[in-house]
Order: sequence, then C-alpha cells, then structure tokens
Amino acid sequence: MSILTVDNIHKNYGSIQALNGVSFKVPEKSVFGILGPNGSGKTTLLGIILNVLKANSGTYQLFDEAPTKKHRQQIGTLLETPNFYHYLSAVQNLRIAARIKGRDEKDIDRVLEIVDLSKRKHSKFSTYSLGMKQRLAVASCLLGDPSVLMFDEPTNGLDPVGIAETRELIKRLNKEGKTIIMASHLLDEVEKVCTHVAVLLKGTLVTHGHVNEILINEDIVELSGCNTDQLLSILQNFPGSSAVRKNEHYVEMMFPSGEATLDHINQHCFEKGIVLNHLRLRRKSLEAKFFELTKGN
Amino acid sequence: MMHLLKIEWLKLKNYRTFWILSALYLISIFGINYIVYRIQENIYNAKQAKGMAEMVMGSRPYFFPTVWQMTSYVSSFLLFLPGLLMIISITNEYSYKTHRQNIIDGWSRKDFISVKLVLAVIVALISMLMVFITALFFGYSSGSSFDYEKIYYLGYFFIQTLSYTMVALLFSILFKRGALAIGVFFLYSLVLENLIAKPISHYFNDAGRFFPLESTDTLIPLPVFVNVQRQMSAAPNYTLFLIVAIVYLILYAILAVKKFESDDL
Repeated sequence: MSILTVDNIHKNYGSIQALNGVSFKVPEKSVFGILGPNGSGKTTLLGIILNVLKANSGTYQLFDEAPTKKHRQQIGTLLETPNFYHYLSAVQNLRIAARIKGRDEKDIDRVLEIVDLSKRKHSKFSTYSLGMKQRLAVASCLLGDPSVLMFDEPTNGLDPVGIAETRELIKRLNKEGKTIIMASHLLDEVEKVCTHVAVLLKGTLVTHGHVNEILINEDIVELSGCNTDQLLSILQNFPGSSAVRKNEHYVEMMFPSGEATLDHINQHCFEKGIVLNHLRLRRKSLEAKFFELTKGN
Repeated sequence: MMHLLKIEWLKLKNYRTFWILSALYLISIFGINYIVYRIQENIYNAKQAKGMAEMVMGSRPYFFPTVWQMTSYVSSFLLFLPGLLMIISITNEYSYKTHRQNIIDGWSRKDFISVKLVLAVIVALISMLMVFITALFFGYSSGSSFDYEKIYYLGYFFIQTLSYTMVALLFSILFKRGALAIGVFFLYSLVLENLIAKPISHYFNDAGRFFPLESTDTLIPLPVFVNVQRQMSAAPNYTLFLIVAIVYLILYAILAVKKFESDDL
C-alpha cells in the first residue's frame, strides 16, 4: 500500500508557479523526506495534501483512496508553524484537537509526557517559548498514536537538544512501524533521518527514491602525507578508484559506494615509500550531492 | 452537528474578550431600553402635557402590546455588537491559523463554516431572548397587562439580528483580517449603506429599502408618531420585506460557504 500518492500536481499563485507537475509515491513504513531550499514548494505540497490549499490541477490519494477528512484524522500533522488558540492552555488546545480527530482525550497526558510539557500543561499557549510551542505541536501530532505522521520543518525553532530529541523521536516512531513524511531544507536532517527522499526545486521534482540511491553513491577517502604531490602521483592508477584530486588539506580518492578499502590504500602508500598521517573514509556530503542534483536547473 | 458545536464551545468557553463583550451587549439591550423607557415616563407623566403626548405620539410605546415592537426597535441600534462578536470569533481563527489546523486535524471545510453559521443563529436567538425578557420587564413596569398581540416583532428582530451576524460572518470570511472586517462592517452597517440607500429611496420610489441591512431595518418601524409616519410614506409591505430578508440570508450563507470551500486557507 502507498500511504500517499501524488499525481501530476500543479499549483500557481498568480504568475508564480509553486508546483509544476509533481508526482511520487510514499511507501508504507518509510521516513519520506521532501527536501528543497526555502520557497521550493514543500509546504505548498503538504498544504494541498491536507486540503488547506487547492491545487490548480492534478490529484492525490491517501491510503490508496480518494482523500476525505477521515484520512486526515488518521494522520498526525505539523504544518509550518504550531497553530493553537493563544488564550487556551496546552490541555485545552489538545482537547479540541483530540475531539476533531476523534481520539480519546485520555491520551493527552501521555503525549504531553513524551514532549516533556507535563509541568506546564495548564499554562496558556501564549506564555510558551518558541521551542515549547513546537513541542506542543509535536504532541498534538502524536494524539491517538496515528500510523502516519507529517512534519513540516519539525526542528524549526528548537535548540540543539530539542533537535536531537525530535530526530530520535522520529526514528523511534519509524521503528514502531509508523510512516513519516517530513519536509525539510536541512540536508543533514534528511540524511540522518530519512529512508526515502524527494528533491524539490522551484516547484519541480528533481529526483526521488531511496536515500542510499539518491544521496549517497560515492565513498571518499581523505589522505595526507608529508609530500602531497608524490602522494597524488602514486595514487593515480589505484585499482577501483574513479578519481583522485587534491583539495586545500587532503588528497581525495573517489570510490563507488562501499568499495573503498582503507587497509589496501594504506599498504599501497607504505610500499611506495609514503607514510600517511591522515586516512579517513567519508561518504560524499549530502550538501555536495544536493548542489550537484540541483545545478542543472 | 452537536459534536461540532461542542468543539466550538471548547474554543469559546475560555475566550474572555468574547464573554465580556457578550455580557456588555446583553446589559446594553436592557440599558438602552431603560433610557428610552425613562424618557417615555418623563414625557407622558409631565403634568402640563397631560393628554397631549397620547394625542401626538399615540399610546405609550412600552405598553403591551407595542412594547414588543418598541423594545425590538430600540434594541436594534445595538446590532453592530453581535456582528462584532461574530467577527472576532472568526477572524481570531485566521490570526491564529487555527482554521487551517482544524481542517488539517480532520474537519471538512464544510464542518468549519457550518458551525460558524450555526453560531450566527445562536447569537441571534440569544439576542431575541434578551429582547423578550427586556420587553416583558418594561411592559409590566409601565403598568400595562400582558398581551402577546405584536409578539411577532420578536421574530422580525431575530431575522434582523441574523442579518447583521451573517453579514459580519461574510465580511470575516472575505477579509480574513480582524481589523479590516470590523472596519468595513461598521462603516457599511452604520454609514455606507444609509449613504447609498437613502438617496436611492428618494429618487427611485423607496428602492433603497431593499438594500441588505436596510430591508430588515424596515421590518421594525418606530411605533411612535405612527400617524405622522403614515402621512409621510406608505406603510411597507412586510411580507415582501420578510422574503427579501430571507433571500439575503440565504445568499450570505451560500457566498460564505462557497468562498471558504474554494479558498486557499
């Protein structure tokens, strides 16, 4: 089953084309990242899926069915900013959300515990800090333990601890078998959390698929020794390496994903008379990949 | 619908501005009638004017059964307030973006707008109830005995209040921002409509009376100087104005629902 199927969605605000024929499927139990810079159409896309925006053309399905409010009730959603009644407390706000979703109000204490807001649960929303508001929004998403969650920039406004906690939460939810759809402009966030990714740029879907296929397809080995030029020359024809180049600090060797073996490289250099003082395997940075993906556009 | 109303109640229950304004509004219905009632008593009880007042103005307006009409007429000067209540209850949602959140959480767009329409009806019903109580009070205070003959004016008052709350609802949905909706609503209901309707009435055989709010204002004329009023203009066709008012109400509802269902929220 596909949790979400987006088919050729177009949306424009006046003359501005916000989405241009976007199509993809979100498989069940995946963490699906919608990645793109600010203004690429991520929030617009989620807004259409949640019926707060109207597409100019194209269709979408939720749980392989034509979307209705029943489907939205089964999805825990945080879209853009946390939207709550400022004059109501956390509990009063969640009570409204629970009623609309048709969830049991007894669940409110549990979700407030998860996001660590139990102590402030009777304070008015207007007295909350930005991070607390964001955490309350996450709590609202978790009401009734939905099987699908949709997060738009879930770590916005959180401090580093909050960011780490939220990412852990997302991973844990996914381990529990939930499907998570998240939009983010943070490349490392998507890399750390997602199993699948769709890359949006100016309303156009650049690419989509499994994270390992799309974002990480090369290993990079960093080396350095006392004589960089000599090091560069002895590595030129190292078997399996697709390219060798020099940057400011290190010599870099490219390998197809999973094929770099550091001990062979080390041995090779030693036999050629060069002792390495730095040898490290790193995966191609997502940022570099992202620029590469989007450069053509 | 009960389920939706209970949720609406959770939203409003702790919304203090709404309740303070509501309380002031209901007190003011009593208050404005009290002021006019005192004036009536002063005029009709003045010794030197004995009998004159009755001759010129007709019998005391706060006597049964004219009290139903008089209280409705006097109270109608406060109708911008229930309009204001509607506007804040809707534009608040826009400013907190909770209208989006309600949809995201699983209301249909129709759920959201229909519960607001019902709220407009409830506000009008409570207004009518308050006018009923106020009329009873001053009817008895004037020393007359109960008579329900003209009680249908309460029905007109309900229609009139509903027109104001529905126009307010429509303006809120159209303009989305509180200050803008309030400004336009006040200017339209207090100034602009009269500014347009009166000259049109003058030149086109009372056609100005068919303007949205004016049509319901016409339903409840001032019950004093009735003889003088009759000489100045022909009595309106009440059935026609009632139909016009109801047609307008249906139009407001359709427009508001269509707008909310098709908009980007």
